[in-house]
Amino acid sequence: DALLGCHRSYRSRPTHGIGKFKYLLPKEVPKKRKEKVQMKEISAGTEYQYGDINIQMTSYDLCLVEHFAQYVHRLCNRLSIQVTESYAMPTKTNEVLYLEERGSKMQLDAVLTTHQRVVQIRGLSSTFAPILLEVIQSSQPEGVHLLMKQHTEADFKSRLKSRPELEELLAEMS
Amino acid sequence: SAAAPRPWRLFGAMCLLRLPRISQPLEKEEEEMVALMEQIELEKSLYSDHEMRKLEEEEQLKRKMESSYDEDEAHGKTVIMAQDLEEKWEQKFLRFKAAPRITDADKSNNRTSLNRKLDSNLMLLVKQKIGNQELWLLPQVEWQPGETLRSTAERAMATFLGDHIQAKVLGNAPYGIYKYKFPRAIRTENNVGAKVFFFKAFLQSSDLSQAELKADCLWVTKKELGDYLKSEYLKKVNRFLLD
Repeated sequence: DALLGCHRSYRSRPTHGIGKFKYLLPKEVPKKRKEKVQMKEISAGTEYQYGDINIQMTSYDLCLVEHFAQYVHRLCNRLSIQVTESYAMPTKTNEVLYLEERGSKMQLDAVLTTHQRVVQIRGLSSTFAPILLEVIQSSQPEGVHLLMKQHTEADFKSRLKSRPELEELLAEMS
Repeated sequence: SAAAPRPWRLFGAMCLLRLPRISQPLEKEEEEMVALMEQIELEKSLYSDHEMRKLEEEEQLKRKMESSYDEDEAHGKTVIMAQDLEEKWEQKFLRFKAAPRITDADKSNNRTSLNRKLDSNLMLLVKQKIGNQELWLLPQVEWQPGETLRSTAERAMATFLGDHIQAKVLGNAPYGIYKYKFPRAIRTENNVGAKVFFFKAFLQSSDLSQAELKADCLWVTKKELGDYLKSEYLKKVNRFLLD
């Protein structure tokens, strides 16, 4: 019972608010939610460096794609290439309908899920880039599509969800 | 003012790789690892919709055998049972026949065809005349002043395989260099020796029917390179080949 008894100072008592400390800490500015994308640099010359590069891996098999993405990430860590982000795109589900036209028309369904993982890299020197590409290509597992491309704003926007109500209101306003 | 003529002649050579089409067979440890991982994943995973349906139907069948409860439930059921679906899929799978991994060209060891050794990289070797010797080399062509070394290598590829080759050259930087001095008889002040710069390219399409073969060419793997190339040349070439 001694544990349960809580001595909370009531509001009229002089000891009200005795345990407060947050007013002593420095004030934190609340962070803005949306991040600005434009982080790209290409320095031309003998040390030609690529800006942000996306390595996109797509496949139907989830475990394979995840393990391959992990392998690529670790490889870049070992080769001291800066990996800015490593994320997954939402999975797409495809229904395969099968129209058999012998006798009775039957529709056999198959449900395929397509998974995509993206590893974003920065600061790749152009002398090293083809070697990296070759290493990744030679260790590509079966059934995995590989795509290396430069990061654009459209790629960033594709990760965000569109808000139809906001767009409607904006259209009404302007 | 013109720079003093250098004593080295420059060549650009192209190493054209045909990428493997199939994965290589796994080693013993890799196979054991794969089996272990599959078992772990199977035990960790949850039942899918199909398997749940199958289990429910099995239970219902069992209950039907014992007593005739589920007459009402059976009416709402679909005609196709999960077990039938599985059997249908099994039959379809058995009917599917995969393409053979070892092709005809492998059996006959025909080194001029591209269908050989589908699980490893194949490189192009061409017979060229250097000095008064006929040697097997990677296709090379002399560098003309005013063009980049990469375009020299592309020209080398075009002279031996024709113009319509879909190959992707990797980068502007050479992968390796081989330099040799001419024998004393031919050596002059301006012509001490030659330097060959190697570039790499990936063959995109495997259709070479449009290619005009100007000289004998072979497609060889890294291990078979030793049969054709000279030892010094081979050493430098092996430095930049991944396998």
